[in-house]
Amino acid sequence: MDVEVDDKDLKAAGAEVLTDDSHGLRIHGWEIVSCNGSILNSSSLITWEEKLKTSHLPEMVFGESCLVLKHATSGTKIHFNAFDALTGWKQEALPPVEVPAAAQWKFRSKPFQQVILDYDYTFTTPYCGSETMEFDTEKKNSEEFLEASCSPCWEDCEEQIDVVALASKEPILFYDEVVLYEDELADNGVSLLTVKVRVMPSCWFLLLRFWLRVDGVLMRLRDTRMHCAF
Amino acid sequence: MSDLDRQIEQLKRCEPLKESEVKALCLKAMEILVEESNVQRVDAPVTICGDIHGQFYDMKELFKVGGDCPKTNYMFLGDFVDRGFYSVETFLLLLALKVRYPDRITLIRGNHESRQITQVYGFYDECLRKYGSVSVWRYCTDIFDYLSLSALIENKVFSVHGGLSPAISTLDQIRTIDRKQEVPHDGAMCDLLWSDPEDIVDGWGLSPRGAGFLFGDSVVTSFNHSNNIDYICRAHQLVMEGYKWMFKNQIVTVWSAPNYCYRCGNVAAILELDENLNKQFRVFDAAPQESRGAPAKKPAPDYFL
Repeated sequence: MDVEVDDKDLKAAGAEVLTDDSHGLRIHGWEIVSCNGSILNSSSLITWEEKLKTSHLPEMVFGESCLVLKHATSGTKIHFNAFDALTGWKQEALPPVEVPAAAQWKFRSKPFQQVILDYDYTFTTPYCGSETMEFDTEKKNSEEFLEASCSPCWEDCEEQIDVVALASKEPILFYDEVVLYEDELADNGVSLLTVKVRVMPSCWFLLLRFWLRVDGVLMRLRDTRMHCAF
Repeated sequence: MSDLDRQIEQLKRCEPLKESEVKALCLKAMEILVEESNVQRVDAPVTICGDIHGQFYDMKELFKVGGDCPKTNYMFLGDFVDRGFYSVETFLLLLALKVRYPDRITLIRGNHESRQITQVYGFYDECLRKYGSVSVWRYCTDIFDYLSLSALIENKVFSVHGGLSPAISTLDQIRTIDRKQEVPHDGAMCDLLWSDPEDIVDGWGLSPRGAGFLFGDSVVTSFNHSNNIDYICRAHQLVMEGYKWMFKNQIVTVWSAPNYCYRCGNVAAILELDENLNKQFRVFDAAPQESRGAPAKKPAPDYFL
């Protein structure tokens, strides 16, 4: 998603657009990169099914797509990908939701030897992002390097995201929306996991959204927001 | 040049017809379609196409790869409309070709050729946007009721949009269905348009949604055997590679909407059968951006919260 950004705005904010193949920018010690790829092909799909121990995945899994936010000095890496999200779906394993037509179907004559599948076809996930602590290669080679990766520690707090500050129309230096997976529920609605990011001179902000609509039955919204003021 | 030829040329440029022209076209199409069987007989050679979903410029790529109608004999397995930006032009072009060359193109009904589904997935809104009224949607959905449910190529290849039904074991049972109605929520006609093959069941499976059949290897084996057919050709499910064989080559899924929904990055395929029913899949990509009428879809950054 190419967006016209004013060079002057970038310069004034001390941001630097990444010049290699990746789509992203560097700002205040953060490197923010997004990539939008194709859906998994059949052989990758089989690999994923084996790894996730499932025989069903969303019909559109954007397996290569991701959003990555790395903070060089602290080693913090926050990232979003379909695999981890589907791992969460597998663990939560909600019971299936019946569509309205199911009521009628209960009266249909049953075929001989019918198997009823019972996986959560809505792909509802508790996923709110993945995070690791990563150190760059130079540090890895040095003696002080102890552990390749570990997780950052989250703490509860009273602070809230400053919505007023976020509503101010400062220039957007980088923006992207990445679809992680999507399923049309065989034309019974939609299940969609996306992450949107915008980077402004004063902060970055992202929204990970799981959105589900089962026609005539229910809607479900699970949002995760992250805000980092520079 | 006849009115119809002029309309075909216009539709090939992705320009919709006038409302009155749509009405007249649908009336003519109805006269042709009403005569068709629920299991329409089709001669080889024929080129089989899967879902199009209103991706007009990609369908033009399809015709580039497969050849123009009527030179090539085509069969489309349904789901002409919804999701893409040009359902109106896509369906009307196929319908106009059907009226102009009835023996050179076969149109089979998909589950999206329905009043209910098109109101949710785009075709209804597109008609309203392009014509300012829903009359064109009414004419088109009335025609959907007349579309055939399946086809049989040289008595050897059974073609249908979705799949099989536990209520159907012989082709004659399909022939007795009264198809001129909205797609029902259950029963044989519903299954033909909706069901899917499924690896992990052998016989019949019920979807976790509580509606929708899944059928396994042994169901296909016995259907093909008792109806003396070589294999089933169906559409209905997105496949990244454009086509996919299952159950030891007893059923194949053909998908003809490349880069589905303009973001999946998948290729599309059509299946060409020659006069001896030899198979050749032709795989193709989405139309290049510059050949599309509409500007590139680049949503402006928004101040989401």
